[in-house]
Parts: sequence; C-alpha cells; structure tokens
Amino acid sequence: MSVETVPRPRAEAAATPRHWSLPRIAAGVVLASWATMFWFVWLGGRSYYYLSSRTAWVIPAGAVLLTVAAIGRLASARTPVKESLSRRELVILAIFLLPALLVMILPPQSLSAYAVGRRPSFISGVSASAEDISSGSLTMLEVAGAQATRKGLDALAARAGDTVSYVGFVTRSESTPANEFFLNRFVITCCTADAQGAYIRVVDAPPGRFQQNDWVKVTGTIYPLGRDVIIQADAVVPAAKPNPPYLTP
Amino acid sequence: MAIAERATEPDPAASAPRTPHPRRRTSWRASAVVLGLVVAGVLVARIAGPENVPWLQNMLIIFESLMIEALPFVLLGALVSAAIEVFVPDSAFARLGRMPKALQLPSAAVAGMAFPVCECGSVPVARRLASKGLSSGAAITFMLSAPVVNPVVVASTFVAYRGRDTLWQMVLGRIFLGLLVAMCVGWVVSRLGKAELLRPRPQEADLHEHDHAPGEEDRWRRFSGHLAADFLFMGRYLMMGAFAAAALQTFVPQSVIGGVANLPVISLLAMMLLAFLLSLCSESDAFVAASFVQFGVASQLAFLVFGPMVDFKLGALYAGTFNRGFVRTVTLAVGAVTLVATMWIQVWLG
Repeated sequence: MSVETVPRPRAEAAATPRHWSLPRIAAGVVLASWATMFWFVWLGGRSYYYLSSRTAWVIPAGAVLLTVAAIGRLASARTPVKESLSRRELVILAIFLLPALLVMILPPQSLSAYAVGRRPSFISGVSASAEDISSGSLTMLEVAGAQATRKGLDALAARAGDTVSYVGFVTRSESTPANEFFLNRFVITCCTADAQGAYIRVVDAPPGRFQQNDWVKVTGTIYPLGRDVIIQADAVVPAAKPNPPYLTP
Repeated sequence: MAIAERATEPDPAASAPRTPHPRRRTSWRASAVVLGLVVAGVLVARIAGPENVPWLQNMLIIFESLMIEALPFVLLGALVSAAIEVFVPDSAFARLGRMPKALQLPSAAVAGMAFPVCECGSVPVARRLASKGLSSGAAITFMLSAPVVNPVVVASTFVAYRGRDTLWQMVLGRIFLGLLVAMCVGWVVSRLGKAELLRPRPQEADLHEHDHAPGEEDRWRRFSGHLAADFLFMGRYLMMGAFAAAALQTFVPQSVIGGVANLPVISLLAMMLLAFLLSLCSESDAFVAASFVQFGVASQLAFLVFGPMVDFKLGALYAGTFNRGFVRTVTLAVGAVTLVATMWIQVWLG
C-alpha cells in the first residue's frame, strides 16, 4: 500500500471523500468486546472470581480505559483512503476476541479440589499478628497464616479448645476415614494464578454425606497440632459458595 | 493489532527492508462470517460445559484470571507508549542519548522505580523508547528494572515477608539485584542497533494514518491509532503466554521442585525455572515466593528477580516485540547474572 505522508491543508483534507475502514472497525469491535467483558465482570459482581480485593480496582479501571480506547478507535474509523484487512489479521483478531466472550458466556467458576495439591499450601503475607491470633474470633486466614512464624504457631496453639465456624469446600483422598475430610479455601493476593491452599482436617463429620468439592459450613472445636490443625466437628451443614470464594490476606 | 496506523513514526520497523509478500485481503462479508463463527464457537462451548471437566475448568480459571489482571496494565503501557510517540518530541530522547554511557544505564534502571506497573506494561514502553531514539541498552535496562523495583512491587515484597527474620534481606536484596541484573543485561544489549533490537512489524509499515490534517485533532487521531495498535499487538502475545502459563500451572504440580530445596546451585535454578513457568505478576509473586519456606533467601531472590524479567508470558511478548536473537540473549544474560549473583548470596549467607 502506498503511503501518503505529506501533510495537506485542512480544507483539502476535509473535502476528501472518506471511507469506512474495516481494520479500524474490527479493532474497535475487539476493544469494545473486551471493554464490555470488563463492565460485565465488574457490574455482575464477578470480580472476586478472578482477582483479590486488593487488585479488584483493576477491573473498573480496565473497563473505563478500554471503553475510551474503543470509542477513540471507532471515532476515527472513516479514512480518506480505503484500508483493507488481511485474512491473517482477521483470524488473529477473532482469536483475541474469544477469551472475552468466554468469560461472559460461561458460568463463573472458582478453583476446586483439582487444584489442591498442585498449589503451595503454606500461606504467606497474612497480616494477622500473634496478638490478632491470640484474641477475638479466630479466622481461617489467621489459622493458615499462623504457620508463617514461630510466634504465630505458639499463639495458635494457645487457642486449642476454642469453638470456630468456617466455610470451605471438601476434599478427601482414598485413605481418608469416612468420618473425616479436609476443609479447603484458596488464598489469593493478586489473581487466581498466585492461589495458595489453606486446609484444615475435620474429624467426626457425618460419614459419606459430603462429597469432593461440596461447600460446607463446619462448626466445632479447634485443636492446632503444630502445622496440622484439626476441627472436631459439632455440626457440618451444606453451604452456598461464598462470593468471594477466595480469601485475601 | 497491527492495524497500526503509523503516521510519521520513525520506527525502524518501517524503514527495515521488507520482503514483499502477497497479503490476502478480506471483505466485509468474510469478516462478518468470521465473527459469526466465533460467536457460534462460544455458544457451542457453553453447551459443552468445559467447567465440568476439572483440568479444563482449572486451566480456564487461571487463563481468564491472568488476562483480566494483566490486560489493563498492557493498556496502560500502550497508553504511555502512544503518549511518548505523539506528544514527546524526538529531541528529548536525542538529549538523553547524549548522556555519558556510564550514566545512561544507572539512570534508566532507577527510572524504573517511577513506573509502577508490572512487566506487561513496561514492554510496549521500552519498545517505544527504543524506537524514538533512546539507546537500546537504556531502554532494555528500564524495561527489566521497572517490574522489579517499582514502589508497588517493593511494598508487596515487604508485606509478603513481614514478620520474618529475612524481611530486609528480601526487600533490599530484590531492589539491589533487580537494578544490578537490569544494568548488566542493558550493557550486554547496548551494542545492538535499533534495527537489530526491534522486530519489524510489516503491517505497521503497510497501514499508515492517511489523514494528516495538521493540528490537535490529528494528534489525537494518531494517539488513538497508536494506542489501539500497541494494545492489540501486545494483547495477542499476552494471550499466548497466559495460555501456556495456565496449562503449566494445571499440569505441573508446584511440589515437584520441593525435593531440590537443599541442593546449592540446583535450588537456584529450580526456583528460576518455576518463576519462568508460573508467569506471575511481579506485584504478587513475592507472596508465592514466600510460601516456599523450604528454600533459602538466595533461591527466593532468584525467583523474585528472574521471574519479572523472563517468563513464559513475557517470552511471548518479547518474541513479538524484539528480534529472535534478542530474546535468546536477554534470557541467557538475565539467567546468568541472576544465577551468579544469587550464588554469591548463597555463599555469603551460608
């Protein structure tokens, strides 16, 4: 394509007939689709399925910036020279469009039993200090984060016998007794790619009632045994998947 | 996308010798058909229910999450890149280019502290800086240092390690090593000219902004063109990298490297390899590094310095932005300097 680079007077430029540019419209459509996806995730309350509460601001920021970029591209879609789009570029654009559409059309999902064991299970960066662990209600995040320091483990050990109530999903292995399971939550600090697993062993649970990936609420007495933490269950009831499904330090 | 309308861009890509290749053009109708096929494919995916297949569900979650988290930063990088192209005169970079060589690399490395975005955002900016006349070494030094030493990353490293005895070793070690590795690699690539550094984008040269009415309106049209072009171009490579990282996170358990934690050099290499495979954002990688308690300070520093400079996701971005030789050089140089520096730390700390 020959390229005209000599500036022309404004009046002459204005008089030149303009054509709709396919490359610019295609780019505008892709930008607009991604912008729509960001708006959809934000307004649909799905942000926490992908990002932590620390980084969720990225989604509205992305929605606004992409909307502006799409408007800018579409606003300049009429050009004085006909522009064409190669097939290769068209295919690349179509592929780039796919993830945005998939996010909007598939139901929101969170990491499940499949990811347990494939990810680290030592939680770092939890803001709970030994003082926080020692007093007040004991959260699952504090239980997981206590493993980071000796003081944290000592403070957690002092809470043995306290009553706690946690929501998480169930995992079990072939060797897990019928009246036991692991209660799991993932902790994310930025996005699900950095998820770390937090788990607590639950004993005295109703045998055979809960399956892998079922979300449950466990109420019982906590017994920290070093890096292993056990809850002797008083009650295990089905629970809805929380939103956010992940914990954030 | 390289539906890049470059008006008067002094990009070497435009001036590099181009091999004529017949490019098959597409019509409005064909475009509509492709769009229809994409929508149909997505609807089929909805009916098939990929969320019911555990590994596919896991991969999709990580892939989508990486895209959602990184794309706004790519856009921010494209925004800065477009602003540099349109609003900053070439003479400003020429003045920087006249600085003594001994000052250019440290200045570029420290400048990274003022650019608080992750690695995806720094690539388009570095490309633009190099194409506008900044020396290759300085542009690459900036690109590599920004994701490691910017204030957000330093703060997240502090939070991840607070309460540990190794807090300041990790925070200061990351800053110092990040600057050191960035400058060393910048020095290695400083002999490259722009044509050797930047990968030509044929489409950029083909499709130019045709309306050159002078004035503010034209500036904003050019800005919009550069913004869209850079974003869509980088976005496709980000997508490839995010897909590869999601696949690796799905199929390779992170526990596989735990067995080498106490082997002196192997532990460093293992953590660098892990950083490469995981492709984490530099603003969150400290939390993951801190979770590998079986590894020492040096190994965790290797993870925190190597990962934001070279990983799967970045490899795809680099491949689209720079020449193939550069990708090989930067990978080897970052790896070698990180390995040697962290070996010294390992010896020093016992």
